[in-house]
Amino acid sequence: MVSKEVERLLLKVQKPGRYVGGELNEAIKDKRKVDVRFAFCFPDTYEVGMSHLGMKILYSLFNSREDIWCERVFAPWIDMEELMREKNIPLYALESGDPVSEFDFVGFTLQYELSYTNMLNMLKMSGIPLRSSDRKELKNIVVAGGPCACNPEPVADFVDIFFIGEGEEVDLQVIDLFKECKASGAGKDEFLRRAAQIEGVYVPSLYEVSYNDDGTVKAYTPTHGAPAVVHKRLMKKMDESYYPDNFVVPLVEIVHDRAVQEIFRGCIRGCRFCQAGFLYRPVREKSVETINSQCRALCENTGYDEVSLSSLSSSDYSQIVPLLEKLNTWSGDEKVSISLPSLRVDGFTDDIMNKIKTVRKSGLTFAPEAGSQRMRDVINKNVREDELLSTCTTAFEGGWTTVKLYFMIGLPTETMDDVAAIAALGQSVVDAYYHCEKRSKGKSVRVTVSASSFVPKPFTPFQWEPQDTIEQLHKKQEHIKESITTKKIQFNYHDADTSFLEAVFARGDRKLCRVLELACERGFHFDGWNDCFSLEKWLELFEKCELDPAFYANRRREFDEVLPWDHIDYGVSKQFFINECKKAYSNATTPHCRLKCSGCGAAKYGEGVCFEKRQDLV
Amino acid sequence: MKNARIWFKKDFECRYISHLDLNRTMLRALHKAKIPVWHTEGFNPHPFATFPLPLSLGFRGTNECMDVKLVDDDYSFEELITRMNACLPRGIQLFDVTEPIMKAGKIAYADFTALISGERVPSGKICRELEELLSREKIELEKKSKKGMKTVDIKPGIKRFEIKEMFDYARLDIILSAGSSDNVNPNLLMTALCDSAGTEYDVDITRNDLYNSDMELFR
Repeated sequence: MVSKEVERLLLKVQKPGRYVGGELNEAIKDKRKVDVRFAFCFPDTYEVGMSHLGMKILYSLFNSREDIWCERVFAPWIDMEELMREKNIPLYALESGDPVSEFDFVGFTLQYELSYTNMLNMLKMSGIPLRSSDRKELKNIVVAGGPCACNPEPVADFVDIFFIGEGEEVDLQVIDLFKECKASGAGKDEFLRRAAQIEGVYVPSLYEVSYNDDGTVKAYTPTHGAPAVVHKRLMKKMDESYYPDNFVVPLVEIVHDRAVQEIFRGCIRGCRFCQAGFLYRPVREKSVETINSQCRALCENTGYDEVSLSSLSSSDYSQIVPLLEKLNTWSGDEKVSISLPSLRVDGFTDDIMNKIKTVRKSGLTFAPEAGSQRMRDVINKNVREDELLSTCTTAFEGGWTTVKLYFMIGLPTETMDDVAAIAALGQSVVDAYYHCEKRSKGKSVRVTVSASSFVPKPFTPFQWEPQDTIEQLHKKQEHIKESITTKKIQFNYHDADTSFLEAVFARGDRKLCRVLELACERGFHFDGWNDCFSLEKWLELFEKCELDPAFYANRRREFDEVLPWDHIDYGVSKQFFINECKKAYSNATTPHCRLKCSGCGAAKYGEGVCFEKRQDLV
Repeated sequence: MKNARIWFKKDFECRYISHLDLNRTMLRALHKAKIPVWHTEGFNPHPFATFPLPLSLGFRGTNECMDVKLVDDDYSFEELITRMNACLPRGIQLFDVTEPIMKAGKIAYADFTALISGERVPSGKICRELEELLSREKIELEKKSKKGMKTVDIKPGIKRFEIKEMFDYARLDIILSAGSSDNVNPNLLMTALCDSAGTEYDVDITRNDLYNSDMELFR
């Protein structure tokens, strides 16, 4: 419900439907009858944020409690932001239209580093002081979670509480503690100190950081009884874990406009560049029955005619064929189509293809990630060229004529020959099409080759690696371009400038807070969008703060260096990462969790794939 | 197979969604409500629904309609309304279903109400400006077309109008040419009004009824 003042602006901006709320299934409550008001902020546009599954889960979970009213807040696009600023209209929540500054909690989900400026800008638009230390009262408690919370340090000065790991339980525990503190008249300091005792809660203000002369971290020292290491939270039993039977159904088209059904968390593979593959260990599956009934309820309650089965690698679901069979018993009659994103090259079988035939034939996307076999061994992708080619042949026989291939450049140990192999692999796929007898007659093939730049991330075996410089990345992009000789291949590459900034913040420390604060003062926002991003302007800020971004992005760390995220624990041991890093340098692969346990440490949670019966043992 | 013309209002938050978004919202509601509507039989089957006259983004609509085909001849219109309303946001609500009498192409006029106000502008002033604008012999306006900007005279498209001075706004009731050939969008008039007054007025436009060329209600 928006105010008269906001309504006046709506006809002057693009897509006003994203600023009004009023969708089917939004949670409307009486604010006088709730104890805690939670503003769930997604630091990007409505279309991006409304597509995010984590927000849907937590929104429904919070609102399932009568004493909590959780509302949604998104970053207004630049045209709306400008008008709001001009008319002095503060950022508001979609459900009530109330200013964010009236909320007890202001929660952000941090999905990508380039949204940090949007988080700060949203606080600024709300009139809430940026720094945690400038917010003295027990109100507007700024909390944050999501994958980027695994290295909270670059935004540590702004956030009161980080949730480490999966939020379903820990968030509610913190909300309950807030209620208790508010009732007893306790202040913010006491609230934060007590919150730090909850597993999975990181209160950065309770840790003192010291640095060595070379700028690296010397130590993190907990104060006020805060734990020396913060352990992540995770949902042990996925079948018993909360899942919404309803989504807010947007009025305007969003990025992923469909029902989404989570089928498992984690990934068995252990690709060495992939942060998500380690953060969410161990793999925990939902049962076929749970997925089936949740899926059906979701489709009935939203009216969506498409549901996507979500996970990090859908074809690795152990019961994928029985699951698709079960879903097919009703999806046809209900006119619902099932889509399977995140398919692995080796997971696209005839059997699966026939069961998802109802899906629109948009295009198939596979991620070999690297062009040469040696390089794929280094990153532990464990996909062979013949597997890719036979998968593509299967697809071509099934009538597909477009294939997208995702690659990364700038991987550790990469040579120019490895880079050229990307173009060669694209060519092999084109050749496979013309060798395929049963291809669609009279149609040409289109292979899209996309190359993004590798960003080393915390909690991966490559967390010590330097990122290629922007110049090196440009050379590699050029080299691929020159190596492509056919017009059947379309080559796209990701802007190296944004990857560089992403690398700085991904492995940054607390000194970067000053840079972000300055960025916010200067009105930086939407750095993930080409419309707004300028590396030149960022470099000015680093210079002003006397910080060298290359120190964070392009420097090789020693294994014994104290990393800014060493006091956070995601269940995978540092020794495992060191071993994996060394194996990468000897081109050695590591088998996935179902083939053999490699002792990463995640078995300590006592659940999931670590305790499944392995095929070779049966 | 039975044709059904579904009547609804579009208001509140849903004023701000485009015609494409409305279409998507309606199809999803038909699906959720399990209304036995006829589906297209192409490669990508979907419920078949057409809108006799789309409504511009930002307008309220009090008598909007959408045509569908029901595969069940005996399906009750009351049930359709109840089931659909449970599946729609509050900004789009059905109030009637009829069997279509006229074809969509018969629409010739639409009647609108525009409430116009400006900060610290007396409503009498706005009324006089409206009076002046609408009584011109020719109302020539710049209009974006496929071949760039062109000048059109919308005066022939104004069937009749009435201006009322209210306490803090001016009210314009106006009947304009509508339909696929000579459509006049009231936004054009409002732009002309603001241009000649040299200020930005707040405008709240509602489309009320549709008519055929004999000024009979479109049904």
